[in-house]
Amino acid sequence: MNSEPDFRKDAVNPIGHRGWKRMLYGAAALAFFAVATLHAAPQASHVAHKAPPTKAAISISDPVKTYGTKGAPITLELFTDYECPICRSFYENTLRSLINDYVAAGKVYIIHHDYPLSMHPYSGQAARWADAAATVGEFGAAEGALYDNQNKWTANGNIAPFIAQAMPHSDFEKVAAIMKDCTTAAPQVTTSNVDPLAKSGHSCPVDPFIAKDIEIGYKYNVNATPTYIVYHNGQKIAQGSSYVSWPIFRQFLDSILSQ
Amino acid sequence: MEQTSRQRTGRILLIVGRIVLAGIFLAAAIGKLKPLAGMPWTVASVKTSLAMFAMGVDSFQILPAWAVSPLAHFLPFFEIVLAIWLLSGVGLRISSLLSTLAICVFIYAMFSAWHRGLAINCGCFGQGGAPIGLWDLTRDAVLFLPLSLAILIGSILVSRKKHAESTATVGAQHTVA
Repeated sequence: MNSEPDFRKDAVNPIGHRGWKRMLYGAAALAFFAVATLHAAPQASHVAHKAPPTKAAISISDPVKTYGTKGAPITLELFTDYECPICRSFYENTLRSLINDYVAAGKVYIIHHDYPLSMHPYSGQAARWADAAATVGEFGAAEGALYDNQNKWTANGNIAPFIAQAMPHSDFEKVAAIMKDCTTAAPQVTTSNVDPLAKSGHSCPVDPFIAKDIEIGYKYNVNATPTYIVYHNGQKIAQGSSYVSWPIFRQFLDSILSQ
Repeated sequence: MEQTSRQRTGRILLIVGRIVLAGIFLAAAIGKLKPLAGMPWTVASVKTSLAMFAMGVDSFQILPAWAVSPLAHFLPFFEIVLAIWLLSGVGLRISSLLSTLAICVFIYAMFSAWHRGLAINCGCFGQGGAPIGLWDLTRDAVLFLPLSLAILIGSILVSRKKHAESTATVGAQHTVA
C-alpha cells in the first residue's frame, strides 16, 4: 500500500545507525585534517624562509617631535642631523633660546624632522633614539642629551647611556624596549629615488617615522643641515640653511611678528 | 680715422659694460629687498627681507655678530647707489673701482664658505638657490670680475685720453695766444 521505504526499520537497527555515524565523523575528521595540513604547509615554509622573524608588531604611539602649540603665528620646520657639528651649534646657541623664549611665549611652533646624512655613521641611530624617546614624550630631553654629548657618542656610537641620563628610568625602559629591535642599519639620506628603508628593513618600529621625515626633506630640496623652513600664518615665506646666531634669528622672527 | 673708429667702439663697449654691470648690481639689490613670498611691498616687509638677508650673511660665519646686521642693511642700498653711479658715468674710475672691490669681496666670501664645506646659499640675488658651488665662483670670477675690471681699465684709458686732449688743446691755445 505504502511504496515509501520505512526508515524506522533502520532506526530500529542500532548497529547500522552507529556505523553510519562513525563513518560520517571519520570522514569529517579526515577532511578537517587534510584541509588543516594543506593550509598549514605553505605558512610553515613561508616563515622558514623569512629570517629573522619580524618583531615590528610592537605597538608604539606616534613620536611627538614638536615644541609649542600649533596656533603660533610662526611655524618652523627644522631638518637636522644629530651628528652634524653645525646642527649642534645651532641647537646650543640658537634653538635653546628660541624654545625657552619664543616657543614658551606661544610665538613659534617648531616641527622637528630627522635628516640623518649618510656621511655621519651614527646619525641614523641617534635619530632612532630620539624618535623612540619622542614616543614616550621625552623628545626634548633626548635631543638635548644628543647634542650636549655629541663629542662623546660620535666616538663609538654608544648612545644609550646619554639617553638614559636624560629621562626618568621608567621612561628609559620603554625607550630601550622600542630600541631592542633596532639593530639593522638605520635609515639615512641618500638620493630621492632610493627608499630610505631599503637598508634598514622593517624590524625597528621607529624607522618609518625617520623615513617619512627624509621623504619630506627630499620634497623641500633639503640639501644641508640644519635647514629651516619658515611659515607665517600657515604660508611658507622662507627657507634657509646652516648656522644662524640667536640675535640675528630673533631679529628675523621679530620682523615677521611685527607684520 | 681708424683710431677714431676704434675709440668709438671702445666707448660703446664701455657704455654697454656699465649698463650690464649696473643691471647686475640692481638685480642683486632688488633680490635682497624683495618681500618674502606672500608679503606686499611695504617698509615692514622690506625690513623682514633684510632680516632674512642678515641670516644669510651670518651663515657665512665670517663677520662678528655685531657687524652682520649693519652690513646686511647697508649692502643692498650700496648696490643700488653703485648701479646708479655706474649708469651716470660720473667719476667712473671710482665707481668701477668700488665695483671691482665689491666683487672681489663677494668672491672671497663665497670661496671661504665653499672651502670650509658650508652648504649655504650665496644670497647674491636674494634667498633660495643651490648651495655655493663652482658655478657661483666661476660666474663671479670669470664674468663679473673681468667685466668690472674692463670698465675700470676703460675708464682710466678714456680719462687719460681726455686729459691728453685737454692738455693738447690748452697747449694749442697758449701757442695761438
